Amino acid sequence: MKRQIPLIIVLTLGIFFFIQFFVPSQISTNIYQTTLQWTLVISAFAIVLAIGSLVNHHMLKIKRRKPHWWNSIVTLVALVVMALLGIFGRVKGLEPLGELYRKLFHYVQSPMDQAMFAILAFYMASAAYRAFRARSQEAALLLISGFIVMLGVIPFGSMIWSKIPDIAEWIMMVPNMAAKRGILFGVGLGMTATSLKIILGIERSWLGGGGK
Amino acid sequence: MSTNIWVWIAALLSLAIFSYLYKDNPAFRFAEHLFTGLSVGYFIVLYWNNYTLPYIVTPLVNHRWITLIPMALGMMYFFRFIPKLNHLILIPIAISLGFWNGMSIPLTFEADVLKQIQGTMVNTSMLTNIWDPQKGLMVGLLVMVGVISTITYFYFSREHKGPIKVTANVGIWFVMIGFGATFGYTVMARVSLLIARMQFLFTDWIHLIK
Amino acid sequence: MRLKITGLLLMLCWATAAMAASPVTAAPPEAVSVAVIAPPSDIKAVDTPNDAGHAITVSWQASPDEAQKLIEGYEVLRSEISDGEFVKAGYVPYGFTSFDDQDVPANGKDYFYRVRAVGRESQALSAVSNPARASEQWFNTLRINALISCILFTIIVMIFIARARSGQSLFIRRIAGLAAVEEAVGRATEMGRPILYVPGISTIADVATIAALNILGQVAKKTAEYDTPLLVPNKDPVVFTVAQEIVKEAYNEIGRPDAYNHDSVFYLTDSQMGFASGVDGIMAREKPATNFFLGMFYAESLILAETGAETGAIQIAGTDAIHQLPFFITACDYTLIGEELYAASAYLSREPMLLGTLKGQDWSKAIIVLLLIIGLAASLINPGIRVIILQMLRVG
Repeated sequence: MKRQIPLIIVLTLGIFFFIQFFVPSQISTNIYQTTLQWTLVISAFAIVLAIGSLVNHHMLKIKRRKPHWWNSIVTLVALVVMALLGIFGRVKGLEPLGELYRKLFHYVQSPMDQAMFAILAFYMASAAYRAFRARSQEAALLLISGFIVMLGVIPFGSMIWSKIPDIAEWIMMVPNMAAKRGILFGVGLGMTATSLKIILGIERSWLGGGGK
Repeated sequence: MSTNIWVWIAALLSLAIFSYLYKDNPAFRFAEHLFTGLSVGYFIVLYWNNYTLPYIVTPLVNHRWITLIPMALGMMYFFRFIPKLNHLILIPIAISLGFWNGMSIPLTFEADVLKQIQGTMVNTSMLTNIWDPQKGLMVGLLVMVGVISTITYFYFSREHKGPIKVTANVGIWFVMIGFGATFGYTVMARVSLLIARMQFLFTDWIHLIK
Repeated sequence: MRLKITGLLLMLCWATAAMAASPVTAAPPEAVSVAVIAPPSDIKAVDTPNDAGHAITVSWQASPDEAQKLIEGYEVLRSEISDGEFVKAGYVPYGFTSFDDQDVPANGKDYFYRVRAVGRESQALSAVSNPARASEQWFNTLRINALISCILFTIIVMIFIARARSGQSLFIRRIAGLAAVEEAVGRATEMGRPILYVPGISTIADVATIAALNILGQVAKKTAEYDTPLLVPNKDPVVFTVAQEIVKEAYNEIGRPDAYNHDSVFYLTDSQMGFASGVDGIMAREKPATNFFLGMFYAESLILAETGAETGAIQIAGTDAIHQLPFFITACDYTLIGEELYAASAYLSREPMLLGTLKGQDWSKAIIVLLLIIGLAASLINPGIRVIILQMLRVG
């Protein structure tokens, strides 16, 4: 019984919203919109659990004096300060809090975000070097095609040889496109099958019991 | 050098993040934990403004009591803490799964299967122009060879032996060339992000570049 | 380390080269024209098909002056009475000859339209259209092909599930990335170090996330068996609750509920790069022996995979995000490409019903290949057949 109810819910909603896709009428669109909003409301409660888990995770670290435990204090303080400033900063009379919230976002959070993104450039180089060291046929194909396309999208490429942008474009439009389509077919079928398995209750690992 | 304290904070934190490239160190650990905390705080505000206020508080203030239904369903998440009712947490999960999976089936089938078959078909204009390197018949055939051999690579019912092995290998060549193309295409985008950060450090912070 | 320095140098050279060239755009020529323009003609209004009954599609013949580039666009005007006051319903730039008026009141009344050609210096109003009424439809005819093919696919899958149920053995070839799962868990156990499992950074709405959670169930059963510590950081709150439930149930099923650590599945942050930095920190400090990156990933894929590779962990990645696959391929030991991610749950559990669906997928692939070949042959022999096939594949 404990597992029957969730299974019935998944089956009913699954079939209903499958059919809904084909029904453009007003009632159908309204039900879709309402359900979408409801899922947002429902997930709002999951956020409480999630944040609870994060706080608990760091509290444990502090309590057990795990290595680098004081960093956990940084996380917890930052979390509370940012949330309070953001929520109360919109209250009339407390505008300076909102101002501080925006400052923290622009000068503290956002630069770290962008720095992490910028790190990607280094990792691109080290990943390419890793492929170079692999010395396999596949890695060679990847590197050669990557190098040509890379040259093709920058002005420097056409300075070396005017045909490079054309070759790069051809790689993008022909072999690249073919491979992507081939992969997409499989992905499409795999996704559909996975959804089907969930709706029909064949895949039940989310219920516990790993499909049994 | 900048005299704005906020610019200094931004610059030092950027450097702290970059320092991870060397190895894990106290500066990175501090930045990472600060980042996690601030971003969670930021998302709490975002969720509060985008979910809680419009979909829970406003309807309740306006006496739209129907909102109590999804609220009750959402609260079932909290049964996690009551061992006897623990299984009820599966109900909100089931609602999400049913809704998204039901919708995803026809959407995926349209986008990833039907549209892709359509795109792979040789079109009539190709027949008049056999050797054109962009849209000639030969290119159409090459795309088809690529698609079919890639599909063969993902065929799970037979061992990769004999002709299937040969075809699957051709498939993996196409896949690798395609991945290389994506890799090469992305490089420039990533480098420009790095340039932007460097510009911030050298221009806004230490005024090296005017 | 040497890798990174080489990388840094390469990147700096690159950046200099890239900044060197900047394109120069020419200013557009000044326009000169003064003329009286002709209105569009043949205004037709029809109920927009396949919708909820809020729209009317208006179409017209372009003003002959469009060829002289005298027209900037068309204003579409609506009224309840043919000789009443017309109000603006929308605007389209020149080149367009139809407009979907999406704001028609669903009151069952007829509406009339006029279209005004707008030039730089003058305007010209068309005659009044026929009356049209917005009505809702109960079936989207553009999606009939999607419906039929989905049903066909379901039938094929069902047939194989039935076969699997009747006890027929179904062969599935070895998939390297999945065969390595057992070894990867074993290695962590031997080394006495944890396993890191990242179920992607997307929401539960992504089927890839669901696939990743299914595999998490299988991996958690193995870690429960060997008593290997498991770390599952999450970016999405809902995914977090499901992941926690799955891991807990896996430990229960193996009969080791005592070994389950409530803190092993945790939420990190919703921020993409915040998440990446947090997982980097975990990899640097907890030193997991095995990393799983399965599900939906975006730009952070390379940060995670490269960091993991440098810590020397054995890495198994899998995603259907085509743009991230190249990075996983270069930095991970095994990568599940696209469909292999979806095949994983069946492969690892060896559950006959799940294997049955996998067989159904294989048959559908065979049908697709057949369709492509027939389509090709048809285009070469008789283009008429090709048109029929394309009609069969038409989507909304």
